[in-house]
Amino acid sequence: MTQPIHHNQARELISFRVGVQEFCVDIMAVREIRGWTVATALPRSPGFVRGVINLRGAVLPIVDLAARLGFDNAEPTARHVIIVAQIGAQTVGLLVDAVSDILTVTDDVIQPTPEVASDTAKTFVRGLLAVDGRMISLIGLERLLPTLELDAA
Amino acid sequence: MDPLAAIKETFFQECEEQLAELESGLLAMEGGETDSETINAVFRAVHSIKGGAGAFSLEALIRFAHVFETALDEMRSGRLAPTSDVLKIMLRAADVLADLVRAARDGEVADETHSQALADELRGLSPDAASDETESEEDWGDFDFKPLAAAAPATTGQWRVSFRPRADLYAKANETALLLRELGRLGPIDVELDASALPSLADIDPEAAYLAWTVILTADVPEGAVREVFEFVDGDCDLEITAVGEADSSDAPAPEAAPEFDIAALLAKVQDAVAEPAPTPAIVSQPTDEPPADAPARAQVSGPSATAAAPSAGATIRVDLERVDRLIDLVGELVINQAMLSQRVMEAGLARASAVAVGLDELEQLTREIQDSVMAIRAQPVKSVFQRMPRLAREVAAMTGKQVRLVTEGEGTEVDKTVIERLADPLTHMIRNAIDHGLESTEAREAAGKPAEGLVRLSAAHRSGRIVIEVADDGGGINRPRVKAIAIERGLIAADAALSDEETDNLIFLPGFSTASEVSDISGRGVGMDVVRRSIQALGGRISITSRPGKGSTFTMSLPLTLAVLDGMVVSVAGQTLVAPLTAIIETLQPREADVHGIGGGVARVIAVRDSYVPLIDVGAALGYRTDPINPSTGVALLIEGEGGGRAALLVDAIQGQRQVVIKSLEANYRQVPGVAAATILGDGRVALILDIDTIVAVSRGADSLRSETRMAAAG
Repeated sequence: MTQPIHHNQARELISFRVGVQEFCVDIMAVREIRGWTVATALPRSPGFVRGVINLRGAVLPIVDLAARLGFDNAEPTARHVIIVAQIGAQTVGLLVDAVSDILTVTDDVIQPTPEVASDTAKTFVRGLLAVDGRMISLIGLERLLPTLELDAA
Repeated sequence: MDPLAAIKETFFQECEEQLAELESGLLAMEGGETDSETINAVFRAVHSIKGGAGAFSLEALIRFAHVFETALDEMRSGRLAPTSDVLKIMLRAADVLADLVRAARDGEVADETHSQALADELRGLSPDAASDETESEEDWGDFDFKPLAAAAPATTGQWRVSFRPRADLYAKANETALLLRELGRLGPIDVELDASALPSLADIDPEAAYLAWTVILTADVPEGAVREVFEFVDGDCDLEITAVGEADSSDAPAPEAAPEFDIAALLAKVQDAVAEPAPTPAIVSQPTDEPPADAPARAQVSGPSATAAAPSAGATIRVDLERVDRLIDLVGELVINQAMLSQRVMEAGLARASAVAVGLDELEQLTREIQDSVMAIRAQPVKSVFQRMPRLAREVAAMTGKQVRLVTEGEGTEVDKTVIERLADPLTHMIRNAIDHGLESTEAREAAGKPAEGLVRLSAAHRSGRIVIEVADDGGGINRPRVKAIAIERGLIAADAALSDEETDNLIFLPGFSTASEVSDISGRGVGMDVVRRSIQALGGRISITSRPGKGSTFTMSLPLTLAVLDGMVVSVAGQTLVAPLTAIIETLQPREADVHGIGGGVARVIAVRDSYVPLIDVGAALGYRTDPINPSTGVALLIEGEGGGRAALLVDAIQGQRQVVIKSLEANYRQVPGVAAATILGDGRVALILDIDTIVAVSRGADSLRSETRMAAAG
């Protein structure tokens, strides 16, 4: 749902900050935004899986977006934010530094990702936006969770 | 699902209820309750099945139900005494009826010879009954399948039925031959085919209807009975029923002959039906799924059967299980939320007597009550599985030539639906075992001075938050020398092992104890008591046996009331809070340095528990929370028994306490995690992981790591 669609329909994106960079996801994928609570660590999970938290009775895995995107992952504080997103049939929490804005854009504003030598960019970034002189990367959510076969921990 | 299939499914569901009603009625009569109410209930059950079967043209079922019904009618009218012998035949007839229903449901062909033999027996019960061919129609008035539209004029003895199907009738997969045959069941018929409308072969439309029949029926039945035959082709044929010698009644067309299907007429029918039990056929003939008509009708259908199943229960509704589970989830969350709120208020330093604190107390009580009530929705009496057992007992008794009386107690004991469903197999096996192996032969019993009839008692009761089910027989008890001999022969124990009586009895639960050489037709299906034990353990239960030579054996199963919650031991490991299922834990011990030994060159350690050495597994290291195992003397060891019966000691940092926890799936939003069975939410709102003990033990056993995928699949 976050793939660039090639017609000129306005859509809304939520932008957020991870480290020094800004990213955004389609607002339709976002269920809610909540503050950081301590997660229960899962044994033998990839480093970017922070653990699980209780979301009104459901067990919600938390993906540390900084670690997932290849930044240094800092210990989360109370000022960190969890974006609860729907990825397929699953609900997943994305740990980010802060939510900054809601952008209304049309698809023609979204520029294709330039060819760069970054696997992370190729895997997750679906396009780039220029907003008030800032560069915001549009993220595709489908590949954020570890795939079903077990990665090496 | 197409509407007809859905209706058929409802019919078979109700058949199951009727069959249960039938059997419990007959058993009550055997127990001496031969009042007319019980007999009527039994009669009604058979009659309803027959009526529904008629609607779906289930020939074999109709035939047998009819004979059965006739015999029951004899009993109802007092011409046939409900003696023990008669009731035994009736009980077997009920079994055959159940077989026929199931065969019809699964689209199989039932064993005709069997039902034929019993049908003959039933006929033999009522030799003076005039004839099977005529139905005592006057008795049809007071229940389910009364033809509503029929005014039932005086009977005349002869009817003229002219019947012209329309193409729609065939399109709906009706078969005129069956209708005519059905008509023939009422009495001798004389059929005349009117093929005058048949065009030449070149002009024929293969999907059109050209034929018509005129039938002269000689039977002393009311018009309604004749009309009922055509009930399901209403509106798809031109039908005229006239009494021979009477004026032609075509000037007053019956509602059935209405050319188009009319929702208003149907609604009127349903409204009429509210006053009395709804006729299933009314729904059968409903082609649309229009809610206003559908809702009252369906509610009505479940009415009579539900009342029949639990006379005092009153009205019931069928609810999608998913909705109930969602509700249970939400209430669980409410309980946690409420606990967190209380904690916050206490932390805020509000006085206990303050209005807020008092209000919170009330909230807490209310929440508890809501939780209990919601859990009760999923709970069902064990009756539904218990009532399958009398039949099983009869069959096994017949096969073994033993005389058996099965007594059931505590059928009203309630337990979660999922538990009930998974109880059927182990119970079946245990009842079979109790009769086949537990009870002695009749001669042996008489020689021992016991009554010839063996007694098997199946009982259920609630005990300290669990359900306890017992299967007890008054047979010879466990033959300990023989059990021991078999165990030695199979290499399960050492030849010189000194075992207590209790330990000897428990040998029968060992995998490999029951093998082909002692398989008999009844008990042997390659299933031993180890399988029974495993299925009970899979439900979070325990099974034990007590036996007294010459007096009998008792198997006792203790099961949780629900699979949604689990009794767990909350432990700390490397700063994490984990939950170990209580059922697996045998005991907890404080390891002493001297009891722990390294084994081999690696980190593998064993601990001496009394005289045996069991592997000591550091849970923190096994799950990867820490790299170096802790010093055993600073922790606590949980002695556990895995699924296969193997023992191990799990080393944890500390025990926090025992608690009932709600089981939450990890896979729903993430994936399976090796070593973790599921998750739960503790009172502080945090997620705690529930240990998958078998995986952890398996890892400690072999070289395969936690990451092995095959193990994951097996653990799934």
